Amino acid sequence: MAKPLLSVENLTMHYTTRGGEVAAVDSVSFSLYEGEALGLVGESGCGKTSVAMSILRLLPDNARILGGQIWLGDLELLSLPEPEMQKVRWGRISMIFQAAMNSLNPVYRVGDQIIEALELHWGSVSRQQARERVAELYQLVGLDPALMDRYPHEYSGGMRQRAVIAMALACNPDVIIADEPTTALDVIVQDRILKRLTEIQKKIGMAMIYISHDIAVIAEVSHRVGVMYAGKLVELANTVNIFERPLHPYTAGLMASIPSIHGEKRDLVTLGGEPPNLLHPPSGCRFHPRCARATGICIEQEPPFQDYGNGHYAACWHPMEVDYGSH
Amino acid sequence: MWRFLGRRFVQMLITLLLFQAVTYFLIDAQPGDIADLLTLDPNIPPAERERLRAQLGLDRPPVERFITYIGNFYRGNLGVSFQEYPRPVIDIIKERLPRTVVLFLTASILSFWTGFVTGKILAWRRGGWIEYTSTITGVTLYTVFTPWFALMMIWLFAVALNWLPAGKFLDPLKWLDAPISANAVFARMIWSSFFALVIVFVGFWFSNRVPRRQRLVLRAASLLVPLVGMLLYWRLSGLGFYAWDIARHLILPVATVTLIAYGGTMLLTRTSMLETLREDYVLTARAKGLPDKVVRDKHVARNALLPVWTGLVFSLGNSVSGGIITETIFSWPGIGLTLLNSALVADIPVAMGTLTVVGVMTLISHLIADIGYAFLDPRIRYH
Amino acid sequence: MAEAIATTEHVYVPLWRVRLSLFWKSLRTNWAMFSENPIGLIGLGVILFFALFALAHPILMNTIWEPRVYDPISGYDMEIPFHPSPPSARHLLGTDPLGRDILSQLMYSTRYEFALGILSAVVTVVIATTIGAVSAYYGGIIDTILMRLADLVIMVPFLPILIVLSALTEVGMIELALVIGLLSGFGGTTIIIKSQALTIKVKPFIEAARVAGGSDFHIIFRHMIPNLLPISLLYMMFVVTGAIFSEAVLSYFGLTTIQMSWGIMINTTQLFGYLLRFDTWYLLIPASLAITLLCAAFYLVGRALDEVVNPRLRKR
Repeated sequence: MAKPLLSVENLTMHYTTRGGEVAAVDSVSFSLYEGEALGLVGESGCGKTSVAMSILRLLPDNARILGGQIWLGDLELLSLPEPEMQKVRWGRISMIFQAAMNSLNPVYRVGDQIIEALELHWGSVSRQQARERVAELYQLVGLDPALMDRYPHEYSGGMRQRAVIAMALACNPDVIIADEPTTALDVIVQDRILKRLTEIQKKIGMAMIYISHDIAVIAEVSHRVGVMYAGKLVELANTVNIFERPLHPYTAGLMASIPSIHGEKRDLVTLGGEPPNLLHPPSGCRFHPRCARATGICIEQEPPFQDYGNGHYAACWHPMEVDYGSH
Repeated sequence: MWRFLGRRFVQMLITLLLFQAVTYFLIDAQPGDIADLLTLDPNIPPAERERLRAQLGLDRPPVERFITYIGNFYRGNLGVSFQEYPRPVIDIIKERLPRTVVLFLTASILSFWTGFVTGKILAWRRGGWIEYTSTITGVTLYTVFTPWFALMMIWLFAVALNWLPAGKFLDPLKWLDAPISANAVFARMIWSSFFALVIVFVGFWFSNRVPRRQRLVLRAASLLVPLVGMLLYWRLSGLGFYAWDIARHLILPVATVTLIAYGGTMLLTRTSMLETLREDYVLTARAKGLPDKVVRDKHVARNALLPVWTGLVFSLGNSVSGGIITETIFSWPGIGLTLLNSALVADIPVAMGTLTVVGVMTLISHLIADIGYAFLDPRIRYH
Repeated sequence: MAEAIATTEHVYVPLWRVRLSLFWKSLRTNWAMFSENPIGLIGLGVILFFALFALAHPILMNTIWEPRVYDPISGYDMEIPFHPSPPSARHLLGTDPLGRDILSQLMYSTRYEFALGILSAVVTVVIATTIGAVSAYYGGIIDTILMRLADLVIMVPFLPILIVLSALTEVGMIELALVIGLLSGFGGTTIIIKSQALTIKVKPFIEAARVAGGSDFHIIFRHMIPNLLPISLLYMMFVVTGAIFSEAVLSYFGLTTIQMSWGIMINTTQLFGYLLRFDTWYLLIPASLAITLLCAAFYLVGRALDEVVNPRLRKR
């Protein structure tokens, strides 16, 4: 296997709140390779956004990274001094935030906000060059370059999302993290933007981490998928395997709950129960309260994140039946 | 944008008219004849009274009277002062208005600028003793009883330390040989300061568009040139001594009004910054790798400025009141002092005239603040 | 028939009891939030102190203080040769130029300061809340007129108007309270309450009430206004501050017909020429301090309430 572009190893992060300490991310490990799109899927509050924020070190004051390492090539990000980290931000890893409606500063022109990033990370660049780059980016995302001199409030929701994507692409980063980029849009615009994003990714060949709670979207966009639950990464495999041969009961439950137009009519399948309160996470495997296959060991010990061959990982004491031959 | 401004301007005029109506009928509604109120003063000889009555249209029905009043107003006729009979009210106002405007303008600009900058810096570091001390200072300055504060300032700087004069516009003893009147000197002070400030602003504005190395030079120059120019002007004209006397008398009143207004702006800026910090675009700015100071100033503060600017509009009323109180306590002869004195001696024409002027001043400040807001917030501009 | 709701055990609890317990619960949560901030508690403490201060006066007058000597308006101490006199055992804060005990004056005035503040605040809140709610609810031309009126009222500071008013007529405590209440009520407070009312107006429960057949009056008064009360309460605090301040200033300048208040105390000091003298500090400082402290106290309570009513400011 080629050396990964981004490697997250045993990342653990907690929030301190009025009610106590929240174990938001616990020992999460995964790798991202050049040119691939990794999807990170899970319910709200499962920690996927927290992982993204930890990578960029954009956590709020009450968050603490308790352990782990994040390698970007030869740089270990968690131990970088702040000025160095500022160079990494946007220059090497950029982000598309959830609900981009408010991601743009309302008092500056959109083009100028992208140019701000360019001037910061590209050193000496003339205004003319920067504008040309913005025009290029706009065309790439499907916006009229003339719009770069307008203000955010003059854009529609879909346009703003495209602008934010353009901004994320501006400095040619190695990795782009897209956090629910289409959640706030209506389905038709969502579809267009998703297609555009996939095109761009193929064309430029940058690595992407795509975060969403919508499995259907993840399926369309990702090469590999990581499933998160209650702050832990419970399964990681390429997209086909996740959908057709899930190992972890939670993943299986997610797949089963997707309604299908084809096949016979059946009742809607849902996962009983609720995600656990991360102030006091369940002992052992965090999914055990909701798992039909849970036994004593599930309550006592946390299952290790194991390799089941073919790049398929899962953390479960009683994984679903899958035959890769080697196991 | 021009349409927006045009609309606001027209609104102002209507509001002014309404205000004058209210003022006028306020007086009209008092028990007693308005004619008496405006003319029945022992200082005015009976013949004059009749003439005034006719001129002010006091023997006509209310609405007509009001229209005459408005007509007179726009022609500059505000009646005649009782106290300083036969001096016309407009004369008194012309003399005193520039002083109040200088006081008000200087204090407003200074307090806003310092309040915003300190509030911005203080918001960036939360918790700790800095936050508590600054909150207490801010609240104290905001709530302290203004007359007491002014008196304390006088007591400290004029009586105990004897650094500055205790009040009034100038020291009459120093002006016995003065070649020109105090008002003339003051007028020159205003003009020279105005030109100096214009040069400073233009210099600083250009300095932002010029490469880094030349920036410092340009800024230093735009500060030094007017400074040297002013010094030369005052020395060579021989009026420096007199101008300095007036300036000395200005310091304490300006400082007092500034300090009082400062508290409110500082507290509001801090609050506004804290709210703005939660906006998504601040996270974006940090994610872009911008250094802390840039995020604070260019993204957070710039947006936090908007509600603070609006707050300024609301607090303009307080500043005007503060100015009135300060002028009175310092015996500083501006419009505020005139208003109060005229009320005390029931010099109705002057009271009404100055009240109207105060209203106009406040309205204009509001208009300027609204225009400023349009410049600051593009969402208002491109409606 | 009393309305009731079914709990999970199918026991019927009267609605009023449910409402009461909900109210009590929210009161406790809000108090917890309010008391997190020392600022609010300090303000509340000071207000409490002054309330007790005011209450103590009649008690003292009826017990240990001889009315002939200690009456705040007409008392005179003949045993002390020269007035004003500095603090002593007989007069804890000394006596004023007219021979009256300063502490007594301070305590006596407190009740009027409270009365003035509260009356102004109540007038303001009644006017502002009603107008704000009506304006937000009906919109259109009613809204425009009311907002233009509010714009007008904000624009002119009420101190100059009060000054001129006092030149024309006698301004006493009640007139002052009413004028301040009116001016504040029609002014800035209305605008703020109206924007809050607008956010309430679009909430689903209003739509539901309308669909259920509620009349405009019912919706405004039973639904919108209760939700506006927290923010009205908040601005009440600021009105009290302004009222006490304005009265003090006007009395100090001698423009009111009030007999005794903190402002009048300072006015007396000035009339007799003792204002800037350090040796007669007790003539100026107690009254000024009282004004500052009480104004500040209400302002601080307002600020602390702001953090309860406006959750965006809460610090985690």
